[in-house]
Amino acid sequence: MIKYIIRRLLYLIPLFFGILILVFAASRMAGDPVQLMTGLNPHITAEAKQQLREYYGLDKPLYYQFLVYVWKLFNVDLGNAYAIRGGLPVTTLIGQYIWETFKLQLAGLFLSLTISIPIGIISAKKQYSKLDVSVTTTSLLGTCIPVFYMGIIAIIVFSYYLGWLPPFGAHSLFPERYPFGNYMLDELWHMALPTAVLTFALLAPVVLLVRSSMLEVLRQDYILAARASGLSERTVIYKHALRNALIPVVTYIGLYFGGVLAGAPITETVFNWPGVGRLFVEATRRLDFPVIMGITVMITMMTLFANLITDLTYAYIDPRIRLE
Amino acid sequence: MSKELLKIENLKTYFDTWAGVVKAVDGISLEVEEGETLGLVGESGSGKTVTALSVLRIVPRPGKIVDGRILYRGENLLEKKENEMQKIRGKEIAYIFQDPATSLNPVFSIASQLIEVIRRHQNVGKQEAIEKAIELLRLVEIPDPKIRIRDYPHQLSGGMKQRMAVARALSCQPSLLLADEPTTNLDVTIQAQILGLMKNLKKKLGMSMVLITHDMGIVADMADRITVLYAGRVCESASTITIFYSPMHPYTEALLTAVPHLAIKREKLAVIPGTIPNLIEPPSGCRFHPRCKYARATCSEIVPPLEEIEPEHYVACLRAKEIAIRSPLES
Amino acid sequence: MDRKSSMGSKSPGQIVKKRSKGVSQWSIAWRRFKKNKAALGGLFIIGVVVFMAAFDSLIAPFPPNDISGFYKGEARVPPSWDHLFGTDNLGRDVFSQVVYGAKAALYVGFGAAAIVMSIAILVGLVSGYYGGRIDNVLMRTTEIFLVMPFLLILLVFLRVIIVLAPSGVGGLSMVTLMIGAFSWSANARIIRGEVLRVKEYEYIEAERSLGASGRRILFRHLLPNVLHIIIVLTTLQIATAILVEAAVSFLGFGDPNTITWGQQLQNAQEAVKEAWWEGIFPGLFITLLVLGFSLLGNGLRDALDPRLRE
Repeated sequence: MIKYIIRRLLYLIPLFFGILILVFAASRMAGDPVQLMTGLNPHITAEAKQQLREYYGLDKPLYYQFLVYVWKLFNVDLGNAYAIRGGLPVTTLIGQYIWETFKLQLAGLFLSLTISIPIGIISAKKQYSKLDVSVTTTSLLGTCIPVFYMGIIAIIVFSYYLGWLPPFGAHSLFPERYPFGNYMLDELWHMALPTAVLTFALLAPVVLLVRSSMLEVLRQDYILAARASGLSERTVIYKHALRNALIPVVTYIGLYFGGVLAGAPITETVFNWPGVGRLFVEATRRLDFPVIMGITVMITMMTLFANLITDLTYAYIDPRIRLE
Repeated sequence: MSKELLKIENLKTYFDTWAGVVKAVDGISLEVEEGETLGLVGESGSGKTVTALSVLRIVPRPGKIVDGRILYRGENLLEKKENEMQKIRGKEIAYIFQDPATSLNPVFSIASQLIEVIRRHQNVGKQEAIEKAIELLRLVEIPDPKIRIRDYPHQLSGGMKQRMAVARALSCQPSLLLADEPTTNLDVTIQAQILGLMKNLKKKLGMSMVLITHDMGIVADMADRITVLYAGRVCESASTITIFYSPMHPYTEALLTAVPHLAIKREKLAVIPGTIPNLIEPPSGCRFHPRCKYARATCSEIVPPLEEIEPEHYVACLRAKEIAIRSPLES
Repeated sequence: MDRKSSMGSKSPGQIVKKRSKGVSQWSIAWRRFKKNKAALGGLFIIGVVVFMAAFDSLIAPFPPNDISGFYKGEARVPPSWDHLFGTDNLGRDVFSQVVYGAKAALYVGFGAAAIVMSIAILVGLVSGYYGGRIDNVLMRTTEIFLVMPFLLILLVFLRVIIVLAPSGVGGLSMVTLMIGAFSWSANARIIRGEVLRVKEYEYIEAERSLGASGRRILFRHLLPNVLHIIIVLTTLQIATAILVEAAVSFLGFGDPNTITWGQQLQNAQEAVKEAWWEGIFPGLFITLLVLGFSLLGNGLRDALDPRLRE
């Protein structure tokens, strides 16, 4: 088992560097970082620019710059922003925004998983029933509606038409506006709409996957064999079938986690949510590469970590992986 | 003769698919007496497996038992509640599947799959169940049972898996074992071992058995009586000796002619012409008539009833008495 | 074999095949497809959008980007007979803009799917067929693309390219190219898996032992055998690409010189309170078109590959 974990870790390292190189290449393709940095300052001299170049090590060869970046990365130094937020260190910036992103995306992911897995199972169990048909239709529709469109509709209906929930932001500006004067309630009140939209968007594909995986497993001989042994329907479904049906679902969630985090720019733009997603959009507009790379590296690392967790869960569920 | 254990009367199991209703089993009747082995033979698609699954009432969707009676020790299983059936499955009537590679759940250990069944039907503690499970593995002649019991299915060979499946089926000493092509997916040498084992165990435990197979060689060796199925109906039913030496149904004759080692003297191995009929719109009258060399016009019009032509010899053929089939064994 | 052929959803397919010997797989699939109402509905939606794109200037009551309404004080007026879907902040007729947006959606959908599938087919076939070191290298590369934060990298590349080529080289084509270049990985993996399965077929083994060239086996035997999967994946990829383009435009990283539904939504977002119609209608069309391709894709899968039914 330990061997397996080490092998998976070793396997993730080249993946990480591959992605790093891709983003680094994009950042250097865009042209002279000093130009981007100083573009708004008409008074800057060529001399000063050269000094900046030397200061940032941009006169060195590319591979050297890359190695320096990696070295700094190991020392949790992502550099300073070029263009936005007054050149704050990127780690500080991310630190300021990441919590809001986590709060929203993880709440959405968690809620959608806890809802979608049972729905998928029940839908598969009652294949072609009215319930199943409405579940699959809703889910299919859910995979087709862009999340930002869903967000806009939700804002129109729940914020403007019904006036129940705030349309954007993570907090009320003034403490007087807190519901019952409570800060926590205010946070939850602001989270409700974005979380609900995100949950619904994430729910749909998982429901369809759990359902089809479950249907596939229910068709297997070992399920028939379990029934033939007189096991209760509950044991057959929730022990024998579910354990097998979860294998592809777990694999999917590992990859999905990355997609969910990377989708942050969209949800955060719709709901004007102060997280790294919106920070990323802002940084990309201004081509602020330290920020862009910082956020990408962070999200990549978290995706890979999620993948590792997936691999471990996978091995736990499937003895064929564990004991090969 | 001895008492009958299982009696199926006019069983009909249909599959309602998008292409139409597949009449997989369409009026099958048969009997199994206590202590005997019944061979259930026929080509693929003849309804052997669906019949056996119907007995346990575990026909997968969209299959449905639409008519008939299944009497086990005189009680109609089709009238039982689901929780009553669960007490019969695995305890009274056990099932062995064709492919041991797919009939064991890949994510649970052998121990857990055996203990689960033992504890479901017998009121024993976990420790006792483990001991019973080890005893079972010894019974099916798995070496080092105490070590092997911790294995997962993918760690066992095909033969070992099937022994394990046999162990699970026998875990609660059932009175009736439904064995669905238990050796088809195994190597020839392993086949012989498993069949030998099943024969021994059957004697040791005094079970009855329904052996489903398309292999005439295996039924000749194992079965006391044989029921021949074709396209969801019974063609012929009699003792093994009668079936082999004086068959009366043209389909039985065709089956026997197609057995390799019975046809040694021939230049070529005979094949039955034509293919299994479409079970959505089966042929009218006798379902075998499009492929039967003795067929007459009436065969496509009248459904032949299953009649006791001689004592203990049932045949469903309009011309059974006229055509005087000679067994290929005697040629 | 007995059980498998006599029950479950698998058997009817086999029986139908047996009965209609000589009829090609494709015509059987077509017969199955015709019975699928949802898939036909999908085809209908796609047909409507294609019609809109083909005759856009005839259907749209106003010319593209016509802001004359603005000067008549008709900015953000609600839906009426004159303006079926209302007007936007610049007085443009939302319905006309939606009609002109159809072309862009289809262009990106088909274009990106073509790029995605070309790369995915090549990688999948080569990787699956040759195996060994080639497979290893290709699959590791595929994994990089699979694990990377897709949307983030796409946005960066789009932005960089716009900065590099300020005169708008390609515009929408560039967006299409970028979407295609970054979303092939999952499909490549699926095709590879399918190739690995087909490769084990005995006749391909036989062909190889008879000394057929790799290229012949690849294109004469493997490709036709994975064609049905490719058709299904292509259809679903069109849907995905349309969604991605909409998202990119919504965030303001699309081609500013093309009318797209995503862009309309971006414009609408600043005034959802005052002018709900500005966003509702373009979004509805994105959803409908994506739904159309999804339904078609699912229908094709059911028809072409009964193994994958459900």
